[in-house]
Amino acid sequence: MEAATRTTIIQPDVAFLRDLEAAGGGDAKKCFQCATCSTVCALSPDNAPFPRKQMLEAQWGLKTPLLRDPALWLCHNCGDCTSRCPRGARPGDVIGALRNLAIRHFAFPQFLGRLYATPKAWPVVFLIPALLFLGIALLSPSGPAEAAPEFAHQFPILILEAVFFALSGFVVVAMAVGVWRFGKAMKAAGGGPILPGLIPVIADAVVGGRLRDCQDRRRWRSGHVLMLSGFVALAAVGTVIGVGTMFGVMETPLPLGSAIKIFANVAAVVILAGSVILLADRLSDPARRQASGWFDWFFLGSLAAIALTGVLSQVSRLAQAETLMYAVYFVHLVLVFALFLSAPYSKFAHFLYRTVALASVEPKRRLRI
Amino acid sequence: MSARAILVVGGGISGITAAVEAAEAGRQVVLIEKSPFLGGRVTRTHLYFPKLCPPACGLEINYKRIRNNPAITVLTQAELESLAGTPGSYQATVKIAPRFVTSACTACGACAEACPAERPDDFNYGLKKTKAAYIPAANAFPPLYAIDRPACPNGCRACVDACRYGAIDLDQPVERRTFDVAAVIAATGWAPYDAAKIDNLGFGRHPNVVTNVIMERMAARDGPTGGRILRPSDGRPPRSVVFVQCAGSRDDNHLPYCSAVCCAASLKQATYVRTECPEADVSIFYIDIRAGGRLEDFYARVAADDCIKLIKGKVAKVEAAEDGDLLVTAEDALQGRKRSHRASLVVLATGIVPQSGGLPAGFVRDEFQFLPGAGGRAGLYSAGCVRRPEEVMASVQDATGAALEAIQDVVRGAVHG
Repeated sequence: MEAATRTTIIQPDVAFLRDLEAAGGGDAKKCFQCATCSTVCALSPDNAPFPRKQMLEAQWGLKTPLLRDPALWLCHNCGDCTSRCPRGARPGDVIGALRNLAIRHFAFPQFLGRLYATPKAWPVVFLIPALLFLGIALLSPSGPAEAAPEFAHQFPILILEAVFFALSGFVVVAMAVGVWRFGKAMKAAGGGPILPGLIPVIADAVVGGRLRDCQDRRRWRSGHVLMLSGFVALAAVGTVIGVGTMFGVMETPLPLGSAIKIFANVAAVVILAGSVILLADRLSDPARRQASGWFDWFFLGSLAAIALTGVLSQVSRLAQAETLMYAVYFVHLVLVFALFLSAPYSKFAHFLYRTVALASVEPKRRLRI
Repeated sequence: MSARAILVVGGGISGITAAVEAAEAGRQVVLIEKSPFLGGRVTRTHLYFPKLCPPACGLEINYKRIRNNPAITVLTQAELESLAGTPGSYQATVKIAPRFVTSACTACGACAEACPAERPDDFNYGLKKTKAAYIPAANAFPPLYAIDRPACPNGCRACVDACRYGAIDLDQPVERRTFDVAAVIAATGWAPYDAAKIDNLGFGRHPNVVTNVIMERMAARDGPTGGRILRPSDGRPPRSVVFVQCAGSRDDNHLPYCSAVCCAASLKQATYVRTECPEADVSIFYIDIRAGGRLEDFYARVAADDCIKLIKGKVAKVEAAEDGDLLVTAEDALQGRKRSHRASLVVLATGIVPQSGGLPAGFVRDEFQFLPGAGGRAGLYSAGCVRRPEEVMASVQDATGAALEAIQDVVRGAVHG
């Protein structure tokens, strides 16, 4: 047999092992390869089961095959493997940590990927937008003194639009480069063409897809669905308003009764509920809490805080509480900027990477080989 | 009795060995056993691994040594109720439940024939029933019947009337006896892990999922099927048998430790299937086959059989298929493929749970309730599977060692006392 005569030299990447541990995947070393995880996983394909193999590769520190393994993205983190694991090796958390490392690995530019992955760098992440918006608030001409307070008096809409459109442009480019690198790695690992695979993958995601098969962690699932739908809704609304005001079709603040405003407010509440559920889910389970890294907390915490400060900004504006409303809005803007800039490097990026990975294995899945 | 006796708690192979060894070295021994017969789990075993010989001959030799040695007092249906005193000079109170049958019994069986009531046969893990007047095992020692009083109909005296020897006394009381002992050897053994707790393996839900201890009884000539391996659901011989290793063992959710004997036991039981059902194929799903030392040759011999497949990968799913069959799912970790295997009989290799619960507090238990033997009060020893999961040969060696330690206590007491 060919496999028997092939020599493989295992070269553990120790730095990678340290990164994996820091990202919450340190329990991989407890795995003794019983393969319970691969069997209980409802999403693991018969021809290439996971996560047993990935656990072994993680123990061996095999960075290259791991980071381009589509299995990382076939996993939807339902936790069935972790609750059935006889050794407490928490395969679900290990695969989650590997996903984070993969995003960091393919990130563009690399230094931002590393910055967002380092807990110690968190002041920088917030300091950049804080200085930026402080500058805008101080330098912008104040509005008419007798007029009712409006956010635009301290943070002129045109300047904000310029900032956020520039930021969006950068984020789109950074993500595109990251995903392109990732797609190349997928192909190198024997994946199929990405584009033809996209349609069935997206269709599957829309109908609720793969998460349904997972037995455990229903709370997590509902939190995730809420957060994702709220996020998509807000992103759509934000883009519509941004473009609308830029072309002068709309004028902010929109009246409270307008359909768009109501839609946006509902989305904000949904996203808040979703992120609070997800935070509670992580906090309530000691093992999960321990396995969660800065990556997880930053993303969930920021989302919850953005939704909260967004709602508070609106309330304080309506209440015309001048000092409070500017302060809260300032925090809101800083958080939005930080999260926006993090998109190509944080958990946010996982949905892009997942889509690409799923598309690349779609032909195999279809043919059931 | 003199204060120089040794108390052995548990009359399985370890307790029997410790008692015989100490008595043959000239010491007084009290051997107490909870059930109505000696021999414990070994007497329920069809064959020993790796030699594949029946345990009955070894047990019979031991029973003969007990019978011929007046220094051994055997008490069945007896439990250690309390232990007072100090190291080297303990007072052990033993509670003896009534057997309702005296030593006048000749094991003629007339009582069982007359008995109208039935009880689940715990010797055969409930696979069949016996009468309420029953002989606990075919080769029971002592060879006496017993009456399961809770199973008796109210006021029934059919057995008393049937017994020509006047050996049945339904009014026998509970008895308590106190012994002055220099040392106590706990040889209380093990029980199989409750397979119903492993909910994904289907035991208790699917009749054709059995455990390894049940397999021993199915293969035993004196067992409920007369030694024929048959599916519980329809009594037909199985076409394919799957052994599920580590059913509960090495699992933080069940027994976190390795039970040490299940690998060799399943290899052995695979040979039962090959002998009894030559048409059947056998698959053993394992994490690691732990058959070291002298067991390695045995492993190699079994693995060489083309009809026995060894598949690395723990079974995590057992589901019902048509015709009473089962679908067993595991990843073949060496091939990197996940497959469902159709089986007509599934045997769960359940592990060893130490039976240390009823022992006095002076015995030091480890985190899994085994009695590792170190750090406890002086004069208290352990042997066999209550000490650690181990095969019969190691249990016997253990028991001999414990007997030596107990003898030393007796001698020390004689010198200083």
